[in-house]
Amino acid sequence: MLEQPPVSYQINQVLRGSIPFWLTFLLALLTVVPIRIDGFAVISPALVSMSVFYWSLHRPYLMAAPVVFFLGLISDILTGVPLGLSSFMLLIVHGVAVSQRHVFVGKAFILTWWGYLLIATGISMLTWLIACIYSLALMPFFPVLIQLIITVLIFPVFAWCFGAIQHSLLKGI
Amino acid sequence: MALGQGTAWKLAFPLKIVFQRFAFLTLICVSIALLVLGKADLVLMERVRTISTDALSPVLGTLSQPVDAINKGITRVKELATLVEENERLRRENERLLRWQAVSRSLDQENENYRRLLNVLTDPLVLPISARVVGDSGGPFVRTLLLSAGSRDGIRVGQAVVGPLGLVGRIAETGKNSARVLLLTDLNSRIPVVLEKSRHKGILVGDNSTSPTLEYLPNNAQVSAGDRVVTSGDGAMLPAGRPIGIVSSVRDGQIRIQTFADWERLEYVSVLRYDLPGLTDRHTNPGDLGESLLGD
Repeated sequence: MLEQPPVSYQINQVLRGSIPFWLTFLLALLTVVPIRIDGFAVISPALVSMSVFYWSLHRPYLMAAPVVFFLGLISDILTGVPLGLSSFMLLIVHGVAVSQRHVFVGKAFILTWWGYLLIATGISMLTWLIACIYSLALMPFFPVLIQLIITVLIFPVFAWCFGAIQHSLLKGI
Repeated sequence: MALGQGTAWKLAFPLKIVFQRFAFLTLICVSIALLVLGKADLVLMERVRTISTDALSPVLGTLSQPVDAINKGITRVKELATLVEENERLRRENERLLRWQAVSRSLDQENENYRRLLNVLTDPLVLPISARVVGDSGGPFVRTLLLSAGSRDGIRVGQAVVGPLGLVGRIAETGKNSARVLLLTDLNSRIPVVLEKSRHKGILVGDNSTSPTLEYLPNNAQVSAGDRVVTSGDGAMLPAGRPIGIVSSVRDGQIRIQTFADWERLEYVSVLRYDLPGLTDRHTNPGDLGESLLGD
């Protein structure tokens, strides 16, 4: 029979296991911190979706659907978009990532990048469409496109950081 | 015993997957439901939003401070390079403004005299509340700002928000110590305005682009690029005569406005408490001095 691990060990595990959540939470906050570069607020990259995508691929049990939903609500509240919009989109990202794990995990990074490009493009289009229907008006599409390009371009940087965290702090979790 | 555990596990494993699928689908449905409910303007949703924004605004305030400091440093370095020219330019501008000041003083006095002669009712006192900008809209779909002051400080929904150069927007949501500003570039922004020279009235309509459009002008209105646009004060929610911007282009009947507000440098903004006795009630717009910390 296995012995019950000590409490301190369990607390340690729980704290380390919650890292993906806190990291994504921090990224959600960073998205709305005013950077004051001309026009940056409009096209600031979708950091939260990167994080959700990465952790759904590599640690799906630490980035479960309820967690994703909650993170979406937080980013909705922070950015002031209709409540539920980001939750919906992030859940789709999560769902696709989890169901297609076998395609990405353990393969070359370029494949993950390509996958993220596809998902991010789909999500951007869908968000734009829903936002248009929601406000019954045609939204400018150009900023959405720029945001998408920036997001996809900086994805490797963040993926590298997430990878570093995964291999140091989350090793064995 | 071992066999019993094994079968239990075999049963539990698909159950877990089914449960996860179920949770996932439920949450998707909840998200869509939230979207639909949000459209219905429920009071409860509003409450949830403001309470959460209240809780998050101090965190954002702290996070935005180092960013502000770095930005200031960068601007300082940039300014160093053009110090001499800037000084020269400012000297010239100062001369020009001093002349303007003299003119404006005499006009002001003249105006005052006329008002007294005609016994005109003056506009009520407009009291600004300065608040720090702690968040902006991180995305392409809304144009909003988050302020670090709320109903506790006397901010109410509908009040005008001005930056150093001109009108920025209006308060759309207030929590206890946070408030959200709907910028005049946002799709949902409608501001009653007037062309400063011709006095034709219209509505400034945002469309998420950087230059909002001027609509509902009378058919005979003459508009040309360069005309100044100011708030008209219609609807008794905004003080009249606050600068907004200039007409930048008139094309195919569409009039675009270049706003004075410098969207990238909004570090502090003023929220204008404006009270027209009898026309506004304390729950919506202004609130009186007594209930805010400013009155103490």
